[in-house]
Amino acid sequence: MNEIRVTSADKFDIRDWLRTELMPHFMCPGCGHGIALRALLWACHELGIDKDKLAIVSGIGCSGRTGAYIDANTFHTTHGRPLAFATGLKLARPDLTVIVITGDGDSLAIGGNHLIHACRRNLDITCMMLNNEVYGMTGGQVSPTTSAQRYTTTTPAGNMEPVFDACRLAEGAGASFVGREATLQIPTLKDLLKEAIAHEGFSFVEVISDCTEIFGRKNALGSSPEMVLKQKKVMIPERSDNRIAQPFRPNPFPTGVFVRQERPEYGAAYRQMCERVQKGGKGR
Amino acid sequence: MGSDTERDDVTSVLIVGVGGQGVIMVSKVLATLCQEHGLEVKQSEVHGMAKRGGAVFSHVRFGRHVHSPVIPAGEADVLLALEWAEGLRWLHFLDPENGTFISDVRKIVPPFACRDRGRGVAPQYAKTTPRDVLEKVSVGYALDATGIAAKLGNDRAANTVLLGILSTALSFPEQAWLDVIERFVPPKTREINSAAFLAGREWVKEATVPEGEVLPVPEVDTVLKNVVNRLEITEEWCKGCDICVKFCPERCLALNDAGKVVVKDANACTGCRLCEMLCPDFAIRLHKELPAEVAQ
Ligand code: SF4
Ligand code: SF4
Repeated sequence: MNEIRVTSADKFDIRDWLRTELMPHFMCPGCGHGIALRALLWACHELGIDKDKLAIVSGIGCSGRTGAYIDANTFHTTHGRPLAFATGLKLARPDLTVIVITGDGDSLAIGGNHLIHACRRNLDITCMMLNNEVYGMTGGQVSPTTSAQRYTTTTPAGNMEPVFDACRLAEGAGASFVGREATLQIPTLKDLLKEAIAHEGFSFVEVISDCTEIFGRKNALGSSPEMVLKQKKVMIPERSDNRIAQPFRPNPFPTGVFVRQERPEYGAAYRQMCERVQKGGKGR
Repeated sequence: MGSDTERDDVTSVLIVGVGGQGVIMVSKVLATLCQEHGLEVKQSEVHGMAKRGGAVFSHVRFGRHVHSPVIPAGEADVLLALEWAEGLRWLHFLDPENGTFISDVRKIVPPFACRDRGRGVAPQYAKTTPRDVLEKVSVGYALDATGIAAKLGNDRAANTVLLGILSTALSFPEQAWLDVIERFVPPKTREINSAAFLAGREWVKEATVPEGEVLPVPEVDTVLKNVVNRLEITEEWCKGCDICVKFCPERCLALNDAGKVVVKDANACTGCRLCEMLCPDFAIRLHKELPAEVAQ
């Protein structure tokens, strides 16, 4: 038998990108993070990124652990701080492709401060935020993105807090690329991540993922396949420009690219300034 | 009667085909030409199926005054089909007494026709022959426009060959057609499109009632036809989440008593890769392979 590899999906074998000795990974059955991880690596594969030039920085939580399975330079940092570590790394090594994998709690609660300032600075980093609406690793506490009325260990009577819209937060804080996609739409998610990584400046991608075992069970959301399929019901995939074309379409979860802007990249601006200062000039 | 007066004045051309063939290009050329001759034109279309090989149609109506952009069934003066089955599908729109039928006899089998059939089974397709159709219409042309265009060097100019035929059914001068076509095609293909247009006009002069059948459905690429889909399962990685089992459109997979995925029906696999892409544990890899004897 001769294997034929024609399309990008034929050519991409995820095992080439994994530390297979660590597999099977620690995530629960049906966890959406695995699908998101595939989309990310598929995007890297299509972009032809060299593993030695790829740095994955992750924080704490189920999302943080996903980074450890990637056969590249990986950096498992403290809770909420992957963006801070990544900022230092990218400034010191601008030749690396730096990707941050973070979660809803990691980046919006514990690391909310770092997120807004990373967006504001516009350093060339890609931040993939896996949103599963819950702190899964620590036992299922409420997170800033838990939907209204949902049960968690800390909201036994249902969540009464307003929900964060991470994409609008990133947009408001000045990220130059913002997008959202669900794991169910994995080829589209891969394309979105590709665009985000290729974008020069800070890119923020929110991935709608599923916590099947903890959040799903507590809220009786059904089996893993049912949860994945449900994404289709709550989300109406559409590009951001449709938000303008069809303003009255009810769409609780728009997906697609929301922001794509050309803004001065922080690292380049910083290096220019260093050069001027080293030549004896003023900073400005 | 109001509608009768309009019908006397208005010419209706219905252009149909499948995505990617250039239905819209043909109708734009026609609409522009009419406008430049001081006529009122209304055009309405369904498009956007280009990537899917889905059905595309465009109504073009022109005259001194055109009220409705839609051609009523049975009132099209010309039905121009870029694909044979699409021509048949819209035949009832053609004016049975005075209408002109123009169609390419090439068959394009839509992608969704491969659903619900076993591997290797020939796709179904309309059996109506050109002769059957020509007996029913007042004027009819059935030709291998794609073949003519291919001989000229680019089979994608088939729509322009058909424009050439259409031009003989309407009264605009040849040069006016050529001028508009030039503006609508990419600069690099101007020459071939002009040649294709003239070839279409030439063809009409010698048109005879065709003897043969509609051209056979093109063979699926022999390489792709022989591809064997082999599912490689890494059992130790599978956590039995059931996603692949439920998402596989062909129901190829199942969970065994130990809660691990097994291939239940390897032959039914169409190689869509949904299972591979959605498995959160990377436990499935699909290999597309060619048996050694075919590979040679
Ligand atoms: S999707 Fe993967 S982990 Fe889930 S049952 Fe299928 S092979 Fe096993
Ligand atoms: S490739 Fe598609 S058809 Fe084949 S087993 Fe996987 S899901 Fe089923």
